[in-house]
Amino acid sequence: MAPYALSFLTFVIVPVGVALVLAFMQFDLTARDQIQYVGVRNFDDALKDAYFWQAFRATFAFVVLMVPSIVVTALAMAFGLNAMTTGRNTVRALLFLPGMFNVAVAGILWQWFYNGQFGLFNFALKHLGLPPQPWLSDRDFAMPSIVVMSLWWGLGGTSVILLAALQQIPRAILEAAVLDGAGHRALLHRITLPLLRPVLLFIVVTNTIGAFQVFGQPFLLTRGGPELATRGVVQYIYETAFNNYRMGYGAAMSWLLFAVIAVFALVQYRFLRRSAH
Amino acid sequence: MTKLGRNLVTGLMFLVAFLFVSPVGLMLVTSFKPESEVLNPESVIPRVWTLFNYRHVLGWAEEAPFGRWLLNSFFVSSSVTLLVVALASMAAFGITRVKAPGGGAFLGVVVASMMVPGQLFLVPLYLMLSRLHWLDTPAALIVPATAGGFGVFMLTQFMRSVPEAIEEAALLDGCSWLGVFLHVSLPLCAPAIATLGIFTFIGSWNDFLGPLVFMDSVRNYTLPVGIALYQTSYYTEYGLTLATSVLATTPLILVFMAYQRQIVESMASTGLKD
Repeated sequence: MAPYALSFLTFVIVPVGVALVLAFMQFDLTARDQIQYVGVRNFDDALKDAYFWQAFRATFAFVVLMVPSIVVTALAMAFGLNAMTTGRNTVRALLFLPGMFNVAVAGILWQWFYNGQFGLFNFALKHLGLPPQPWLSDRDFAMPSIVVMSLWWGLGGTSVILLAALQQIPRAILEAAVLDGAGHRALLHRITLPLLRPVLLFIVVTNTIGAFQVFGQPFLLTRGGPELATRGVVQYIYETAFNNYRMGYGAAMSWLLFAVIAVFALVQYRFLRRSAH
Repeated sequence: MTKLGRNLVTGLMFLVAFLFVSPVGLMLVTSFKPESEVLNPESVIPRVWTLFNYRHVLGWAEEAPFGRWLLNSFFVSSSVTLLVVALASMAAFGITRVKAPGGGAFLGVVVASMMVPGQLFLVPLYLMLSRLHWLDTPAALIVPATAGGFGVFMLTQFMRSVPEAIEEAALLDGCSWLGVFLHVSLPLCAPAIATLGIFTFIGSWNDFLGPLVFMDSVRNYTLPVGIALYQTSYYTEYGLTLATSVLATTPLILVFMAYQRQIVESMASTGLKD
């Protein structure tokens, strides 16, 4: 246990402590020996920083689009897989495959699809006699495009988890309900969905936590553009800390994001738990 | 559902699966096209098959040492996997078998730490690694990665589900704790260790933010960061970037095909535990 405990202490506990201290410091790597206690000024600055709010709106837009669409499509995939008469494991593996890709590879691939001039999607549209679309270059189009790519990338894992939960529902319960005259709808609403609720809760919470931390997909597809419309909080933290070397400010914003994530996770947990009864 | 309905759904699901993998197929065939055909595709299947893109990519020496990135990625991912498996199995053994005092409380802290989002560690780790003079070295990607709680959590769960009787018998027969660990517990945990190893390798191979922040010089990049940053320079030369993507993905696809069942099923069970 000792070697792991040492590693855990050094690279988990200490960094959290450092991050906590840093959040109350002004520490700019560009200016020499400029480390100085500033109290809550970093947090104060963040709340007054228009770029921070803009980044927050972008992240929030991603969360709001991504979480419901992945939960609903994954649920549909799980039901579809469960009803399959043959080839279930093959289809399951194929749906899972994109998730094995690095975000860089997925990003390159989809940037090629979305490219305005040479992209595959616009090429297909042209062949169909339709006008090309500004998939990534329009403020309103960019985030939904990023969500579609993220769905392709992340759907498999979520579907597989839901399928496993679906297969765990005892057949006897479903058969008993059918004998009692329950129709398809009643079966779904009264039995299947309530029994899936714990797993759905898990899916919603983990996907929300993940979506709030989105970085790779917009960073690679749009670099946060157009006009910063897709620059999320993590990218703003990354740029603040590692392009502008404002470490204290970056750390403070990390804590703010963490706080928001924690609040959302707790609220979802409470809400979805309670509505189970 | 009726038999007909089920068959329709089956067909539909195959169609969906085809749509899901078609980007991968497109990537593969397009990487064998000359650039003119990439930009103006008249058919999915290349009219002219060429290895030009691959030869060009593998020939990149100074500005984009692709082979070097591949080696870096292999070195980092294998080291992380070995260390994580070693440290996590020792820790799980200490907690569940030796029952080291405070083990349970420690596990609680470890599990709680898994809730902290990774981005929070970025800035402090960067500063610590810079103090250690580890920035821009493989150590920056390897050593901190061993601290993750997932492996310890997973292996303690697994070891708790395995009866201790065999280990107790070995102890009574005069075997040392070390002997029990090496000759009894590790073989018993082989399936869980294999799963942990696969997940760790994939996670490390696909890590993007870590190497992006901690690595500085081009020759020290891992594959994902290398190809992502070079995508910027070869922006519109899709043939080249697609060839790099194929090369970067092939090792993982091979791992996936070999361990497909294990990977998918351990993923599936993550939602069932709580």
